[in-house]
Amino acid sequence: MGFPIYGFLKFPMEVLVLLLVCLSNISSCVAYSSASSSFDTTMHTNNWAVLVCTSRFWFNYRHMANTLSLYRTVKRLGIPDERIILMLADDMACNARNKYPAQVFNNENHKLNLYGDNVEVDYRGYEVTVENFLRVLTGRHETAVPRSKRLLSDEGSHILLYMTGHGGDEFLKFQDSEELQSHDLADAVKQMKEKRRFKELLIMVDTCQAATLFSQLHSPGVLAIGSSMKGENSYSHHLDLDVGVSVVDRFTFYTLAFFERLNMYDNASLSSLFNSYDPNKLMSTAYYRMDLYQRRLEEVPVTNFFGSVMETIHTESGYRSKPSKMPLGQSVRDSDRRVLRNSHNEDGISNQITEEYLQGSGRYIWNAILGNADTVENVDAFVCYGLLLMLPLLLLSTWLSR
Amino acid sequence: MVGSDTNKLKPRPIVRLGILLISHCFFVSVVCLTAGVLALLLLPVLAKNTYISENALMPGSSNNMLSSQDVSEANKLVKDLTSLELRSRDSGIESQRLIAQYMSDLGAEVTYHKFYPQLHQFHPLQFFSGPDSGIIGKNNSCSSLGVNTVGIIRAPRGDGKEAIVLVTPYNPTKTGMGEALSLGIAYSVFSLLSRVTWLAKDIIWLVADSQYGEYSAVADWLREYYNPVFGNVNTGDTCKERNILYEPGQKPYADRKLYEGFKRAGTMAAALVIKVTTESDYFEDSLNIYAEASNGQMPNLDLINIVNYLAVHKQGLRVRVKKMLSLLNSSWLNTLGVIFEYLGQIARSLNPQWKFGIPATEYVEGIATLASSLYYQGLGVPTGPHGAFREYQIDAITLEISPKVSLTKMARHNEFLLRGGRLIEGVIRSVNNLLEKFHQSFFLYLLTSPSKFVSVGVYMISFALLVAPLPIVAASLHSNANNSDYNFTKEKSSSRATSGSKDDVKHRSWNWLNSAKKVLIFHLWGAVVSLLPYFVCQMPNFTPTTSFLVWALLSGFSLLILYLILGSQFSETAAFQPRDKEWTSLKSVTISASFIGLCLMSVINFATAEIGALLIVPMCLIARPLKLDIEAKSRRTFAKAACNLILGFVGFPPVTYVLFKGAFEGFHGINIGEFWNWVESLWAWNSATYLFIGMVHLPCWALCIHILFHPC
Repeated sequence: MGFPIYGFLKFPMEVLVLLLVCLSNISSCVAYSSASSSFDTTMHTNNWAVLVCTSRFWFNYRHMANTLSLYRTVKRLGIPDERIILMLADDMACNARNKYPAQVFNNENHKLNLYGDNVEVDYRGYEVTVENFLRVLTGRHETAVPRSKRLLSDEGSHILLYMTGHGGDEFLKFQDSEELQSHDLADAVKQMKEKRRFKELLIMVDTCQAATLFSQLHSPGVLAIGSSMKGENSYSHHLDLDVGVSVVDRFTFYTLAFFERLNMYDNASLSSLFNSYDPNKLMSTAYYRMDLYQRRLEEVPVTNFFGSVMETIHTESGYRSKPSKMPLGQSVRDSDRRVLRNSHNEDGISNQITEEYLQGSGRYIWNAILGNADTVENVDAFVCYGLLLMLPLLLLSTWLSR
Repeated sequence: MVGSDTNKLKPRPIVRLGILLISHCFFVSVVCLTAGVLALLLLPVLAKNTYISENALMPGSSNNMLSSQDVSEANKLVKDLTSLELRSRDSGIESQRLIAQYMSDLGAEVTYHKFYPQLHQFHPLQFFSGPDSGIIGKNNSCSSLGVNTVGIIRAPRGDGKEAIVLVTPYNPTKTGMGEALSLGIAYSVFSLLSRVTWLAKDIIWLVADSQYGEYSAVADWLREYYNPVFGNVNTGDTCKERNILYEPGQKPYADRKLYEGFKRAGTMAAALVIKVTTESDYFEDSLNIYAEASNGQMPNLDLINIVNYLAVHKQGLRVRVKKMLSLLNSSWLNTLGVIFEYLGQIARSLNPQWKFGIPATEYVEGIATLASSLYYQGLGVPTGPHGAFREYQIDAITLEISPKVSLTKMARHNEFLLRGGRLIEGVIRSVNNLLEKFHQSFFLYLLTSPSKFVSVGVYMISFALLVAPLPIVAASLHSNANNSDYNFTKEKSSSRATSGSKDDVKHRSWNWLNSAKKVLIFHLWGAVVSLLPYFVCQMPNFTPTTSFLVWALLSGFSLLILYLILGSQFSETAAFQPRDKEWTSLKSVTISASFIGLCLMSVINFATAEIGALLIVPMCLIARPLKLDIEAKSRRTFAKAACNLILGFVGFPPVTYVLFKGAFEGFHGINIGEFWNWVESLWAWNSATYLFIGMVHLPCWALCIHILFHPC
């Protein structure tokens, strides 16, 4: 609940930094403290999905079908294409062995072509490597990498990371030539956390011994689910006798079956998804790691990760008390603008830090005021009073500067 | 004594172990030999079930698409071919044209490949290298022109770098029902494959002209495919180009895809030779698999596995590999099987996880299959046209399908074609899924049934056990000879008290070199004997029997000459050595030489080495001058002498051959000329077994006989 207050406070204060030199220290103190506390309490603002198929070759058709099915599902539930990073290690649709050229199916009834018009593959073929995968997660790209291939998430992002392929004890095979180890994954997630690249992260893995891939994770806000425990295999669901290969894995098949019943306005919780896995049908035991996740699964709708539905907070005062100087676009929660605003914020912080050395004394006074501000119940009134208070100060400062 | 060697260094444990083994060499060799034979007999029990090792293959993961439409088309081809045969006697060209027409109607690229079949001749200088393409066609008349018909389907979306080959041997001048049906099966699959969208590899259908032998037609086409001749290709000119295939005034094929020249697709991933036999005494449709190529090379086990899997589980065919049928009724094998079964049951009662017992009947079948597998690998002669592919490292097998009833009934034709076609379709679809060459499964294996195999790691054990006593016994004999020499000279020197006894000892310790020289001469003789057939062959109008006799005479003569030239020095040097000890060092060197020979052979052709070891090792180990045994005049020494004589008799290659043949096929009508024919087939196919017999087995046998009759 604190965030909207600071959000409101922050911008007028920053304007004042520019206008009132003598009071800049005080106002920027507020900006600083608001930025530091936003780390834990940032609101969920956007959704990203990273979908990875790590294995190549025709007989691994099902891994590509798995990934494409999930791609279709998250798109249907509202994550736009520019926020989905799709990595496919091989091109099954155009494989010469494919009986249905340029089509990929995840069911033997062939009702749904997963490789339709609107598929944007960001990393394909030999581009899908451990290195590129880790670069996507951590955001350390070469300068030439286009924005569409980057995971431009921020501290308010919910990220779905789905991986499928051939795995083993604490590793996942990439491209028949390299491996992603559980340490690598944990390290990348930790870096993401430190760089504030996500608020919450759901890792979903469909491989053999998937649970072992999570063993090294210890960053808060991460929820992990795997298709099988250590020592268990994940099996394919069925063989398509027409195409001649298995087309989908069991875990993914039942995940999709769960989502097919939903639309983007449904409120099914994560726990209902997790409870839908039947070990007898999966022929393996789905494993969840929840100890790093703060919220209760019953209260988290699946659309928090698999869709793009965010919590909106209704504030009565809305734009009423905003000074006209505030740019209108800032309230629009668009990722690009948000990034811009963030950088602006950081500039503010750096300003503040330099000024802190010069005039550190005023800070304590304002901290005290802030402490009161936290306790004041009628925040809107407080803001109004605060702004009214500024008018004489403005007059005073103009008079002084003259 | 213990105190005296304190100043000596204690030898290392491995040395002490060696000394221990050498000092107990008799016991060790008996144990090893018994264990070696037992391990060989145990192989069917130790055989594992085959499994598809390569993930990409996925046999049987798709529905068969071969429809009755394809089959009825194929049946039409079969009818056309047979009616053509009935209508005109001289239908060779007509039938080939007919096949080409059918092929191109499917949209395939059709070419004719003309070749001059070459006769197999013994070229000692090109033993291992295949015949050079330059020398072909020298001695061929234009009358013996063979024409292969080749159809190629390009994979619609493939990269054109790989191909799968179907081969149907076909004799255009004498078409049997079986050949026509094999063409029908291939055609039905070919017509299906010309329509499908899932091909990743090109399909080549080779109708090999088998007038002059199936193998040479396929081998010739392969040579042309992989070693194209550039420059003066003028085979047509020399024969005035009887352009049989494009006769003037006849242009019904003008609009079709008939190409001049040689057409190629990519490298071959696998090849299937399809045959249909009409005679069958089984109660169900069955499939014979032939896999042995030259020098015991086998195709990858995965290829056999997918064929076996699809035939058994999808088409319900009974799959068989070759067996030594005469072994099936032998009572001693049956007894052995019962014993193993019993032992297996006991083991299972002790611990239910020990599962090595197999039923006695299965054991006998396993041994019969294993024996034939060993024999045909050891022979080193390919068992069918698939052998030609192995020369280019292509995995290939021959599938011989035999129907349960006679093929004259038309109603059965469709069903039979459908079954055979679906099997081939399944195999091709599976191989089509392959991403790399066959490499995942075994290349070195012996089959004990179509679905059971013994891998190299297991069957090596019996060979290792068989040859293990050889170096031990050789070392033991050598050290004994040296020690006794030393004692002998000490006695002499003490009695005579001559000076320079040290030189004498030194000289004697090199005495084995004389024996080595002798052994070398015998092996040289072996090489000469193996070269002699080249000259014998040049003689015209020799029956096999006379050829063999001439060969034997020449061999004996050459031994005599060699002895006269090189052996005269022996008598002088031998004076230094006590005669009774000469044979020990000779035996020691003989054993070492045969050990080296066997080990070398095991690398080239394991099965030959295994069979050779069974024959040579006991003979070498037991060899001992008869004179000593007879002088001793005890029952034991007489038994030893008898053993020696029997082994020496059996070990002579022609006798071994006759005995084996008699044992498996009965003695009636056997003559010594057959051995000549057998050996001829060995060198004609460039089998390393021939070299082994000539240069390892025969000298070894001769040396053993020499030791037997040693005048000590």
